[in-house]
Amino acid sequence: MLKTALKLWFCALLMVALPAASAVQQEPSSNTVAVSEFVQSVLSRAASPSAVAVSFQNVSSLSPEAQEALQNAVLNGFRAANVKLVKAEQAVADVQITFSEDWQGYVWLANIQMGSSSQLVIKRLSHQQRAASSRAPTLTLRKISVWQQEAPILDFFQDNQNLLILEPDTLSLYASDSGQWRPRQTLGIPHQHSWPRDLRGRLEVHGSEINVFLPGARCTGKISPPALDCNASDDPWPIDPGQLVAFFSPRRNFFSGLLAGQDGGASVAPFFSGAAWRNGDQRFWLFTGTDGRARLFQNELATPVATMNGWGSTLAAVHSTCGSGWQILTSSPADTVRLDSVQAVEFTGHEALPVSAPIDFSGPVQALWTAGNYSQVVNGVQQSQTSGKYEAFTLTIVCNQ
Amino acid sequence: MKRLLLPLFAISSLLLTAAGTYGSARPRYGGTVRVLIHDKVASLDPLSDEDHPATRDRMAALTFETLTAVDAQGRLRPNLALSWHADQTKRVWQFRLRLVNFQDGTVLTAADVAASLSKSNPAWKCSAPDRQTVAIEAPGPIQHMAELIALPRYAIVKRETGDSGSAILIGTGSYKLSQWQPGERFQFTANEDYWGGRPFADNIEFQMGASLRDQLMDRQLGPYAATELSVDQIRTVEQNNQTVVTSRPSDLLALVFLQPETGGKPGKKPVDARIRTALGLAINKAAISNVLFQRRGAPASGLLPQWLTGYEFMLGSAMNLERAKELRADAAAYVVISPIALAYDFSDPLAKLVAERIAVDAREAGIIVQPYGESHINSKTARSSINADAVLLRLPLQSVDPASALSARIDDLGLFQESTSAILGAARPEDLFDIERKLLESNRVLPVAHVPQALWLNSNVHNWQQLVNGTWQLDQLWVEGAR
Repeated sequence: MLKTALKLWFCALLMVALPAASAVQQEPSSNTVAVSEFVQSVLSRAASPSAVAVSFQNVSSLSPEAQEALQNAVLNGFRAANVKLVKAEQAVADVQITFSEDWQGYVWLANIQMGSSSQLVIKRLSHQQRAASSRAPTLTLRKISVWQQEAPILDFFQDNQNLLILEPDTLSLYASDSGQWRPRQTLGIPHQHSWPRDLRGRLEVHGSEINVFLPGARCTGKISPPALDCNASDDPWPIDPGQLVAFFSPRRNFFSGLLAGQDGGASVAPFFSGAAWRNGDQRFWLFTGTDGRARLFQNELATPVATMNGWGSTLAAVHSTCGSGWQILTSSPADTVRLDSVQAVEFTGHEALPVSAPIDFSGPVQALWTAGNYSQVVNGVQQSQTSGKYEAFTLTIVCNQ
Repeated sequence: MKRLLLPLFAISSLLLTAAGTYGSARPRYGGTVRVLIHDKVASLDPLSDEDHPATRDRMAALTFETLTAVDAQGRLRPNLALSWHADQTKRVWQFRLRLVNFQDGTVLTAADVAASLSKSNPAWKCSAPDRQTVAIEAPGPIQHMAELIALPRYAIVKRETGDSGSAILIGTGSYKLSQWQPGERFQFTANEDYWGGRPFADNIEFQMGASLRDQLMDRQLGPYAATELSVDQIRTVEQNNQTVVTSRPSDLLALVFLQPETGGKPGKKPVDARIRTALGLAINKAAISNVLFQRRGAPASGLLPQWLTGYEFMLGSAMNLERAKELRADAAAYVVISPIALAYDFSDPLAKLVAERIAVDAREAGIIVQPYGESHINSKTARSSINADAVLLRLPLQSVDPASALSARIDDLGLFQESTSAILGAARPEDLFDIERKLLESNRVLPVAHVPQALWLNSNVHNWQQLVNGTWQLDQLWVEGAR
């Protein structure tokens, strides 16, 4: 008999608690700690009454299900504090609870009426971030977060032992320690003039040798022992390592268009970003011009074979085992204060065809650079619009089955 | 596979073509950004008593910077100050300064900052313990000093006197004032040596006193990068597929009674408290928001909007014409009820409509309100000499920190100054609610509506950030077609 009663009670409890718990999990405001704190504040302000009458109102965007779950949680909070829930005429205090919200989150208010006096308790809670949406891919872009920090990141390098983060004024070195990156050394980057806006930088590491390219400056150094020597310089930046380098405007955020290196000696329109790749015996270069047009060159850099509009200004080539073997990852043509995305495209003839779904970012993608010994990785940097933090990440291509 | 590719291509073709001829994300340097604004501003001095201080502050922010700043998400950010801390009482605050130059090439020192802040708030004792540290000693605790000091009135200004005896104001901002004709045109030029990096645009030019209605009718917005819109113009512009950005309903439109209960202007009687209350109950705020503001505004019952505090709905009373009539009859038994002269901003057509609507509502309760246009009601000095009983004011929301916003609103109203220390000392939202409730109890201020700021943007303009309270952040602004 007792067993049956207990079973029935348990089933009834589950029926009430499970949907409520599920709704609570979906809504950010409904965590048990917050509810407990809120109830304690109400009781403290009402001088720990033995019996209260509680009523609810919702003027927020909480769904009815979440509101009900929250109400149950609050009522349970009172019960857990050994406070009787009674009708208004029997109550020591009449507590009117309103679920409201401001622009940053939920606001719970409790208006406590005790005789002729009233007290107000306000509790603020943050909205939970919405999960980023994703679309069905063909080729899939795989993003791996490497590092996050408050300070701006211009570029980074990582191997099994080292992580190097290039910032506007420093190069930070981290060493791998049981799977964690531990700070090892911070090397200063002295510079005479203030940096231009939308500051860009390039970090190259070969073995222990470090090369840093900044607008109007160049640093060289070593990982071990850590050292960095910086000087004013207009040395060209690498575009296609060993093959093509390009001069960067010393007080701006773009390449002047003057090219050097084995493939160099030519001049193209000023550009923000460039990529180089091969397809069989054909060689290709793609530059996103400061005039908003992307220009494709084939085999020689004299005249573009195609000019395209509407491209994002940041791109990088990546080598993979999928499709033609080379894809171009390009940012979206959004403002730098908005959300961004990166998508893979391939060229068929002179036409760009998307080959992956865009991967969404929570802020502008500020850098994409080809990396890895076989150009199989793209290193990227984004700034999250929600947290304000900078994130270093890698992008690789996964072939779909 | 093909089936998968089709929707993907549809998405992607959007990505590759939607941006039109230009669409790259990376900012471009160069170009002149021309902005058309309605209000006329004579001075950029953050402490000048302007008719349109909010417009002044928007332009002045290009040149004069504050120690701290609040970003689009409402987060506090270091600006001229890199760090700060308070003593336990929250009365003494210290700010550590960034190494920055003024636009004349001199170094910003703690002494400069202390002098500037002392002028902004004479009640503060400001000092410079060392060259890079500023100490502020307030008469009472200030819980949100770092947020408060982000208000435009606390912008750091070096004041010098020119050869002709005229005041020269020097800032540290990303743009220098290069040309100006007070009330007509201000032109700012990029500060090449700005500590945060040279801004992208070469120039930003503000054309003031524009008749936006005429510009819209003539479709002459082409040469401009942006223009302010009034709420009733939003729909027209949107219907033409133009870009409109609106803030949250942040400006407060409020009816303010000028005469205090005691000690007011000689020969001028205050409006009876019962009549003030009756008028508050008679105004159909929902109709004003829905019809005159075309559902873009929100009926107001508090000094701060619901979206900022979450508690505005608990303030004020709903419209109650019967109660308004009772109060009016009650007052009539004791005092002679004179018509209420209500002044509104002469240059604001919407303010005229609202004032007229208030007069219609008041008549329903047996109260006579006589609206008329005045040219300088937003200036506190000019307002003190106005002969009206009440004014219809539109007050900007200067901060997204509720305490700082409320203290700034009190300052703009020129009323309840004695409450400022309590507001700044409020440690909990409940305290702020109590203060606001008490301020409204006297019915000297009748909140009518919260109204958004609106802006038309040319499609060649990028990174124009309008914050939730209507403040502009133009430090990342750039335009297409630049070099």
